[in-house]
Amino acid sequence: MLNANIIHFFIFPGGLFAIFLGLILISIERILVARFQGRVGPVFYQNIIDIIKLFNKETLIPKDAKDFVFKFAPLFGFSGMLVLVYFLPIPGVYDGVKGNYDLIILIYFMALPAISHILGGGASSSPYAAISVSRELKLMLVYEIVFTIIGFTLAVYIGDGKGEFSLMEIIKYQQQNGYFLFDWKLWPAFIAFLIFVLATLEVPPFEVAHHNSADIMEGYLMEYSGAPLALFEITDALKIIVLSIVFQIFFFPSVIGGDIVINLIWFLVKTMFLVLFISLAHVCLASFRADQEFKFLIKVPVFLSIVSLILVTLSIKGLI
Amino acid sequence: MSIITRSPFLFRINTGSCNGCDVELATTAMIPRYDVERLGCRYTGSPKHADILLVTGPITARSKPYLLEVLDELPRPFVTVAIGTCPASCGIFRDSYSIEGPLDKYIEVDVNVPGCPPRPQAIIDGVAKALEIWKMKIRGQK
Repeated sequence: MLNANIIHFFIFPGGLFAIFLGLILISIERILVARFQGRVGPVFYQNIIDIIKLFNKETLIPKDAKDFVFKFAPLFGFSGMLVLVYFLPIPGVYDGVKGNYDLIILIYFMALPAISHILGGGASSSPYAAISVSRELKLMLVYEIVFTIIGFTLAVYIGDGKGEFSLMEIIKYQQQNGYFLFDWKLWPAFIAFLIFVLATLEVPPFEVAHHNSADIMEGYLMEYSGAPLALFEITDALKIIVLSIVFQIFFFPSVIGGDIVINLIWFLVKTMFLVLFISLAHVCLASFRADQEFKFLIKVPVFLSIVSLILVTLSIKGLI
Repeated sequence: MSIITRSPFLFRINTGSCNGCDVELATTAMIPRYDVERLGCRYTGSPKHADILLVTGPITARSKPYLLEVLDELPRPFVTVAIGTCPASCGIFRDSYSIEGPLDKYIEVDVNVPGCPPRPQAIIDGVAKALEIWKMKIRGQK
């Protein structure tokens, strides 16, 4: 009855494993932020308790909300991220689905959480949510472009001009020819990818759509309570896992030997470095205003990723 | 079910306070020195997420409808904490023409944290006491 695909989807590496790991990573990010500020912070399973509590609370639905969309919007992002964790290969641990064009599907699915925020916020009939949705929509258009250009750059680079959209091929190419993290032509793309990670997770320098203690309060989450809110939080948890896997596929798919357990621990170590970077940015950077954030995103990361694309194109032509 | 009482979400509303209590309240979590996150607390921006309501200020005539709206929006069960002297007794603003307080006219107050303004340690102690009361309320509901 239980074939390997079902286990991979529901238990490991997708499903339960990814959800619990993601929630623990978010709690660890909160602990790290607290330690940087000289506090003690919550326990390492704090977000799991939060989720259990939210599932136990009553769900309120506002009178003016579009009922169906309001209830089912969280499922878009949640299901998208759940599929992605099953779909993506984890270097040395899990082979993924091994499609020939999974890079394109990855680019499509990365936009789903933001779309679920937009649908849910738009259906909730709150003025705070409306402002938040208009900001999120603007920003999403920019940072998804950055991600698309980075993916396209890698595809052109490993396909030697033709375009190779398989993630397993990206991993194999790097394991034979050296990791892209140490390739100077892709350093601008690497910086752009880190900015994309911060922007898509909406941590402080890019917090305008979800500003907890300032102008738009909770933003698109304003009217949510109970189980749908818990689904949004689980989506954020899965997103950290997905971003960590994508980071490792794109720039550093290193493997130690052939043992799954050792590779899983090595994967977790690399993920912890990403979480450390996110919490460091969370602590030491102040928030942008909405217009500043849009201008920054359209100037810096887009420019950096295009620089990488040009360098890669020149190196394929044999000019550098 | 006692594990879920370790994850309270806090919502604060200013009902015409002089801002003294708000500054003290913000310091308990926002400024690195004091730490309510250690109890599992998190500030939220929406009353619909909240488990513990923190009220500062005497209830002025202008802020009363908003307070009643927030009280309607909170999911049950929740705990009310009155921060400072004002919501408990209206403080020095008592008998003014524009004051409609104190808070216990509108809702049963579970914890009073007196002081003008109270110390941050006292506020954290008040939140810890509110958690005990929240636990009892959840048990009573089940």
